[in-house]
Order: sequence, then structure tokens, then C-alpha cells
Amino acid sequence: MKKEQSIKIENLTKSFGSGDSFVSVIDGASFTVNKGELIALVAPSGAGKTTLLMMIGCVVNPTSGQIWLGEEKVYDNRWLTNNSRQIRREKIGFIFQAHYLIPFLNVLENVTLVPQTNKVPTKEANAHAMELLKYFDIADKAYNKPSQLSGGQNQRVAIARALANKPQIILADEPTAALDTERSISVVKMLKKIAAEQNVAIIMVTHDERMLEYCDRVMKIEAKKIVFEN
Amino acid sequence: MINLAQKDIAHTLGKFIVTAMGVGMLLGIVLIMIGVYRGMMVDAEKLLKDINVAIWVVQEDTLGPFAESSRIHEDLKDTLKVIEGIDKSEALTFQNLQLYGLEKPVRVTAIGFDPFGSINPVNPANLIEGRMLQKSHYEMVVSTETGFKLHNKIKIARNYFTVVGVTKGTVSSSGEPLIYISLKDAQELQFSTPNASIRNDRARGINVSGDIHTVNTAVATLKEGYNAEAIAKKLGMWKHVGVYTNEEQTTILTKNLVERSAKQIGLFTAILVVVSTIIIGLIIYTMTLEKMKEISIMKLIGIPDGIIVKMIVQETLLLGFFAFIFGNIFSHFIYDKFPKRVVLEAPDALGLFVVIILASILASFVGVGKVIHADPTVAIGG
Repeated sequence: MKKEQSIKIENLTKSFGSGDSFVSVIDGASFTVNKGELIALVAPSGAGKTTLLMMIGCVVNPTSGQIWLGEEKVYDNRWLTNNSRQIRREKIGFIFQAHYLIPFLNVLENVTLVPQTNKVPTKEANAHAMELLKYFDIADKAYNKPSQLSGGQNQRVAIARALANKPQIILADEPTAALDTERSISVVKMLKKIAAEQNVAIIMVTHDERMLEYCDRVMKIEAKKIVFEN
Repeated sequence: MINLAQKDIAHTLGKFIVTAMGVGMLLGIVLIMIGVYRGMMVDAEKLLKDINVAIWVVQEDTLGPFAESSRIHEDLKDTLKVIEGIDKSEALTFQNLQLYGLEKPVRVTAIGFDPFGSINPVNPANLIEGRMLQKSHYEMVVSTETGFKLHNKIKIARNYFTVVGVTKGTVSSSGEPLIYISLKDAQELQFSTPNASIRNDRARGINVSGDIHTVNTAVATLKEGYNAEAIAKKLGMWKHVGVYTNEEQTTILTKNLVERSAKQIGLFTAILVVVSTIIIGLIIYTMTLEKMKEISIMKLIGIPDGIIVKMIVQETLLLGFFAFIFGNIFSHFIYDKFPKRVVLEAPDALGLFVVIILASILASFVGVGKVIHADPTVAIGG
């Protein structure tokens, strides 16, 4: 069966400055991530992992190259859309090192914020959010504020938020960095399950080599180039 | 759609209320300042309305008797009576006195009038206790603002005056409480020369007449069908007096006397409004800065600027609105504690409300600017 492409990157480069202060971070990156895949992105600090993730997430401007999200080409040496935030809202879910939930919204509101912005009716958004919260075993905390939850519970809410808009892609920037080994493995297993069950492509930045065995492929940044490890 | 402003305010409700109360107190002071101006206007017209005459005759080339010193002879009131169209006329005196007898001296304006005359400057509607003057000497009617009570005996110069009546809300055009005494007592207080001075003047060769039949103004009412301006014009042809209609006297008091004070208060009020706007702006700026992380996260996960800007603008408007409510409550609590009249009027409050809403919109621009330029990568430390 032919795998469906979710992310396609061609000759993507990113550099900062010019002249003496010129710094190249990513040079000619080309790769494809298929639906249902969990990819680990590994590289030393400062190698450009987050920059690469943010370029795929239409947050940071690449210097050159092409980006496809699903079948839609969104970047070809320039953004092909003038509303990158709409792409993020509709196609991408973000998970960060810390949960970064909105502190003045309760758990349910945090999860439904993006769908409601996407004009999903409140009732429908709430029902889907409750399903996700049940899936992550935190439905009883739906009306609590993030400050009333533990770190692990908040991280599960953050993952639920990333899934609430039914994204094609999840970009996870060190989602286990603040968790202990047991919880880290649990989160990565959860991401693996989500990728498989919901046919979502996930790129997960990690420093923790123990997590790599749960990923389908390992992508590394070596000398500004992207290389895959089997 | 979730109302982010409402959620954010509810999250930090105590802080929001205290902030709104702080700004509200400032707005309360603005309302009080406007009230002081209104009070000055009311005070300026109050005495004229109570005396309720059509013509004021004063010393030639003066703006008497309130704006400038004026002295005319008392018998002018009799001359006025024979003029066609004049109904009643009387002579009045106005002088400032400092009265003792209470813990602190009291500054008052004393009006002297003939208790048996045809024009009584004491408006019966203001008399809340006691009676009008019924004797030619040593009786007085006082305003409650003086602090004196009925039957008090107050020493003025060499004589004791008994309080026979108490009025409420009677103040001079400058806001000082009024006392009413007989014309004879007032003339003696204002124009009589002490014996020692008379002897000294005689020794200098100055002829002192000792005539105290001087007053500050003669006032007159008109018969029905007569025009005040026409009669004032006719009287103005007399070369030794100045004549004003009641409207002209009102203008002298409100425009000439109060205008400078009004400008002063107006400037203070404008400065306070500008300061309030700046403070609201700074508060919103600080509130926005405190939320920069959340704003960056929202931008990162795809929330449009419009929704975030709406949150900032709504919070600013709500801050302005609640500050206005607190300001109103605050001003109504304290306005009667001021020594002079403070008049709080709904149209002024409404005007301030419009100004504060506009100021809040203006102030929200600083927060909105911050939102628009917020970098979403800040959320992830990028």
C-alpha cells in the first residue's frame, strides 16, 4: 500500500545574517514524513531542531526551498499563503517542552480554543474535547484551571489541545523534557498510538535516546544536513 | 466563541477590581472638579435668584456690588421709586466679616437690608428654622454653613447679635455662607468711623461728616409690562450711577468672576483626564506585557490577531467602564465633605463616560501594538 505524504520538504535552507555574521543553520534539507509516522528529530543543542520544526509549522520564514503540508504546497521560496496562522489552526497541532496552556482558561476551554476559532460549533467542539480528555484520562479535570493540575496532567491536556483541531501534522518540541522517564515513555507511547490511530504525522524533537525505540524513524541534523537513521 | 477578556478578568478579578477602583478614584476627582465648577456657577447665581430683582444701581463706572467695590447714597432707593415702571426698590449692603464664637473663626458675607422694606433678600424657601428679621438692630439670620445655631449670640464689633433664623444653602457668589442683618447695623459696621479716628481726622483738619447713610447698591423690581433694559438705559443716563439689569449682573458674576476659576478648573480636569488616559494605557500595557507568553502561544497555535486584539480592547473598555462606575460611587460618597458647593450632574457624568470610553480605546492601542508585534516564537524561547 502506498503511504500518503503528510510533510514534504525540498532543498530547505535557513540562514541568519550576512557577510561576516552569516550563519547557516539548515542547508538543503529534503525529506518526506508520511501519515501515521512518528519521527524523532535528534541533534545537539543549537543545531536547528526547533528552527526546522518552526519552518514546517509556518512560524519561522525559511531562506529558500519548498514545503508541502499534505498535498498543499505552502512554501516555494516564499509563502504561498498570506494566512499562515490559518494553516497552523487547521493542519498542525503543537506540543511544547512545557505545557504552555492558557492559564486563565480551564482545561476544556484550552482544548476547544482552536476548534472554536475554526468556527466549529461550541457543542461539537466540547464533545470532541471531552472525548480527547477521556482518552487521556483527565475528563474529570475538564473544568479545572491548569494551575490546579499536575505537570503530567497538564502535558496530557496540551496533547489533547494539539489534537483538538484534528490535525494532519503534530510538531512536538521536546514534549518529554520536563517529565521523568516513566512519564516520558508513556507520552511517547501515546504519541505513537495517536499517529497510528488517527493517521497523523508526528515529528518529535528529543534529546532522550531512550525514546527513540518507540519512533518509526530517527532524523538527525548533522553538519546542517538532514540524515535518517534506520 | 470563548470570551477571552471575560475569562482573563475573572482569573485575576481581585487585581482588576483594585485597579479599576484606583483609576475610579482618579475619575471621581475629575467628577468632583466638574462638580466644583458647577457649584461655583450655582453659587454665583444663587444670591441673585434669591434677591430676585430686575435692576441693580451701583456706583458709576464700577461693576458693583459683587465684582467691584461700590458706594452710593441710601436715598437713591427713594429716587428710584418715582421712576415710571419701578415697582419696589430697596438699598442693600454686602460685606465680608469674620465671626468668632465657634472653635474656628468663620468667614461670611453679610447682607444688610431693611427688615421693614419692600424687598427681602431672604428667600422664605431657604428659611428652615426660626423667623425673618423683625427688629432694626442686633438680630441676624444665618446660613447653616456658618455652624451657628438658633438663639446663638455672636459678637460683631462692639455689639452682640442674636440668631433669630437659620437658612440652608445660602452662600455668596464666592461660596461663603451668608448672614443677613439689618441695614442700619450693616451701615454702622461698614461705614461708621470710630470716635478716636474722628478725633484724629479733626486734628488733621479733615472734616468728617459722620454720615453713614451709604449703601453698596440699590435694587428695584418692575411693574408688569415694563422692560428692564429700557429702564436700565434710562437710569444709565444719570451720570453718577451705573445700572445693570439682573441678566447683566448674572453675566458679571458668572462670566467675569467665575470664568477664570472655571478655566482653571477646566484645565485641571483636562489634565486629570489625560493623566487617567495615560494611567489606563500604562495599566493595559502592563497587563498585556504580563500576558505576552500566552499571547505568543495563542499566535503560535494559530489564533488570529483579531481575537487577541478584541480581548485587549474589551479588557480596556471594561476597565474604563468599571473605573467610571467606581468613580461615580466615590464622588457621591465624598462630594458633600467639601467646604464649598459641589454639584454632580448626570450630563457631566455622561460626558465623562464618553470621554473615558474614547480614552480607553486610545489607551488600548498600546496593548494592541504590543500584540501585533508579538513574536510567536517567544512562546518556545525561540
